[in-house]
Amino acid sequence: MSYLLLTLLLLPLVGSAVVFAWKNSTSKYLALGFAFAQMFLSFYMLANFDSTPTVDGVLQYEINYPWSQFIKSNLHFGIDGMSMLLLLLTNILTPLIILSSFNEKPGYRNTFYGLILLMQFGLIGVFTALDGLLFYIFWEVTLIPIWLIAGIWGQENKKIAFTTRFFVYTFVGSLFMLIGLIYVYTHSASFALTDLYNANLNASEQTVIFWFIFFAFAVKLPIFPFHSWQPDTYTYSPTQGTMLLSGIMLKMAVYGLLRYLLPITPNPVLGISGQIVLVLAIVGIVHGALIAIVQNDSKRLIAYSSLSHVGLMVAGIMASAILTVKGTLMTEGGEGAMVQAFAHGINVVGLFYCADILYKRFKTRDIRQMGGLAKVAPKFAVLFLVILLGSVGLPLTNGFIGEFILIKSVFDYSKLAAVFAGLTMILSAVYLLRFYGKAMFGEGDESVLSSAKDLSAVEFTVLASLAVFVILLGLFPQPLIEMVNSSLKFIFTSMMN
Amino acid sequence: MSVLIIIFLTAVVALFAGVFEQGKFSRYISILGLLVAFYVSFLPEAEFFNQYKSMFDYTVNAALFTKIAIVITILLFFLGGFSFSNHRSHQSELYALMLFALCGGIVLFGFQNLVTLFLGVEILSIPLYVLAGSNKTDLRSNEASVKYFLMGAFATGFLLFGIALVYGSSGSFDLYKIHQFSLENSKDLMFNAGAVLMLVALAFKVSMAPFHMWSPDVYQGSPSLITAFMMSVVKISAFFAFFKVMSIGFFGITGEWINIVGVLIIITLFLANVMGLAQSNAKRMLAYSSVSHVGYLGLIFFGLNNLSAYNLAFYLFAYSLATIGVMMCLIWVEKLKRETSYNAFKGLAHTEPLLAVAAAISMLSMAGIPLTAGFMGKFSIFAQAIQTTPFLVLVAVLGSAISIAYYLRLIMVMFFPKESSFKTSERVPLTYNIVAVFIIFALLALGIFPDLFATQFGM
Repeated sequence: MSYLLLTLLLLPLVGSAVVFAWKNSTSKYLALGFAFAQMFLSFYMLANFDSTPTVDGVLQYEINYPWSQFIKSNLHFGIDGMSMLLLLLTNILTPLIILSSFNEKPGYRNTFYGLILLMQFGLIGVFTALDGLLFYIFWEVTLIPIWLIAGIWGQENKKIAFTTRFFVYTFVGSLFMLIGLIYVYTHSASFALTDLYNANLNASEQTVIFWFIFFAFAVKLPIFPFHSWQPDTYTYSPTQGTMLLSGIMLKMAVYGLLRYLLPITPNPVLGISGQIVLVLAIVGIVHGALIAIVQNDSKRLIAYSSLSHVGLMVAGIMASAILTVKGTLMTEGGEGAMVQAFAHGINVVGLFYCADILYKRFKTRDIRQMGGLAKVAPKFAVLFLVILLGSVGLPLTNGFIGEFILIKSVFDYSKLAAVFAGLTMILSAVYLLRFYGKAMFGEGDESVLSSAKDLSAVEFTVLASLAVFVILLGLFPQPLIEMVNSSLKFIFTSMMN
Repeated sequence: MSVLIIIFLTAVVALFAGVFEQGKFSRYISILGLLVAFYVSFLPEAEFFNQYKSMFDYTVNAALFTKIAIVITILLFFLGGFSFSNHRSHQSELYALMLFALCGGIVLFGFQNLVTLFLGVEILSIPLYVLAGSNKTDLRSNEASVKYFLMGAFATGFLLFGIALVYGSSGSFDLYKIHQFSLENSKDLMFNAGAVLMLVALAFKVSMAPFHMWSPDVYQGSPSLITAFMMSVVKISAFFAFFKVMSIGFFGITGEWINIVGVLIIITLFLANVMGLAQSNAKRMLAYSSVSHVGYLGLIFFGLNNLSAYNLAFYLFAYSLATIGVMMCLIWVEKLKRETSYNAFKGLAHTEPLLAVAAAISMLSMAGIPLTAGFMGKFSIFAQAIQTTPFLVLVAVLGSAISIAYYLRLIMVMFFPKESSFKTSERVPLTYNIVAVFIIFALLALGIFPDLFATQFGM
């Protein structure tokens, strides 16, 4: 019983309860305090972390507690390499997200910060759950806070429509995953992860279960053609909600794909199902990128870029998975996806914050009406460019390594697919640099620019921290790759049986 | 049986309190009597009642269901003070009639004999025909009462016809002798016909589609607390009777009626959820949601094992708690706004956050969101049914997916508007806040630690 893990799990929950009860304008500092405490706790756990143990052995930080006498499921939480990476992402981004909302006028109420902390609780539960039922429960738990954040503080004239579509679409996906998991449970010893891996399912059962569970991830990531909820939700949610959605919540689906889908149903990956997913992912890359090129709404542009990047992650994972099930153990796709997940989380949160800063300066999200801000806000121009280039995937930024490994793993499977997947490198440069150019360079409108200020202290802190990560991880990506090595090897080896 | 006697005596005392102009004490008398009955329900049955074992047996399952029915009734009576504030002159009758209906329910929990089944169904239903019409000046209430009575009496006719055929073929009213007969004579035409007629009658009582047509009008027209009682206690009693008759009495001919039940479930889930989506009145939407829950409950017949009765009790308890949570909010809104359309709830979260949160958690529980009791109930039933009929579980899940849309609509209208449409300074009475806290706590506790249900109710 690891008390560190228990604290890590319960601290955001306790924090959110305290913040909900704290009816004061200082609730944001309280929330930030809890988020920082959580971050330092995870750094402390990282310092002594050994990423070699895998989920079928004894993990360094593990909780395994009996739960119900009627359901064969335990309160089984544990941290292995993959979980630690995503936990770090969650715990680093959450204080930054809370901090980014400090200068809003009028300020956000305590319910807003309570919901962010509740969301963090759900996310940590998803990344550390080693039990199918627990994974599903935390998966759904994350849905309520983000829906409330989007619905209460979202754009007024659109919020009923887009929040309903977001909730119902995602919920339907998760319900299919629930049936899939229950079916596997009835054919296995218990809900424990290792028992689910060893469930005896024949080929046709595996195919049906694959598509049922995949549907939940396909909606969440999103994968073309299940992405219609994404642009509206990302655009009309409040900035912090979008950061949570794109920065961390979609990593839940990447994690679930690796941890829960592929090892439980490896058979269909070999056949037409795996290839369909690969093709859909690559279509998503190109589709998202092409639409982003013609977007004029800054948040929508970043949303479509997110769709494009996610497609690459999934394409890389599926390519390695298909090759692994065919016979050669290849974990590269998983490694690339994990590194890219971390990098994308940092980059997209940075991009959305930059879009928010632009909105505050220009009072519009339309990039055609922006321009010339670089003259007035040089610090912003530099930091914005660093994060943008990270998203483009320039070498020496964090986005490069992940993208490179992913394209290589697709290349190992099919050179033609790699050509299309590699288009992301060119297209992302096109739409992101167009965005930057239109917003920052050129003449600009003097009346707007004269009142536009450079970064405030809060804005500078958040952007600078993110930019530091962009460069640092670009120069030293190896620790991330080493962290996930052991757990990915276990997952891909489980697929080979 | 001692529980039954205590509740009956309580009902009589409450009724006579009204006769002697002490009507305002009838609520307290009722709650006190129910608390005593709840305590007694944990004790083993007295020796004296063994002579009635052939009619009524206080089995383990009967005890469990009795306990949950009494808890739900106590919670409803807590809400009675404010909700019957327009009925001060005759509230003693209302409480007494509800207690009589509860007696009928308890008879249905322990019946061993088709005659007792009929008795229980009638004792449950007849007070409700009166209660549905207790808003004497409201046209809708009168309509509800007449509709319920006429259709209920017709359904009882079916029940009697079915009992007569079953008796005629098997030669006994006793449930276990009929069970034996069904195992030996599964091709007896008269027996099968009797079974199907009884199934139809009980499906009516439980409001399973397509025998549910009465429920939206009756639920919408009745006074809201009575609707809550109908949705919770009556459904618990009627469904357990349905379950017991079919799974024990007609066990041998399961192959004949299980497909009928399967088709009824599919129709129920589809019809109720789609119709619920089309409603603009919150009370009517909740009526259709109640019908849809019968669809989920129907899955209990598939993959029967010895945990089925427990899972049924858990689901019904979670569903009843959630019903109270939503109806409590609805009673408040109805009293203030005199109508229950969706817009009447606008911005409730700003003025009465506790009530709104209780209603929101209740609806999320009904939809099957994890961490609530409703999810655990749905999960247990799905896990049981998926082993024999995965197709029905898929239909149930699709039904859940449709239902979330109308539950969300009500939650959104309470939480999302920037300001409240409740301009009054009237605050919710203390009893409502107590019940709200209890409901939130119970739904979340049962969702996180489902075994609390077994330990608290002495299993």
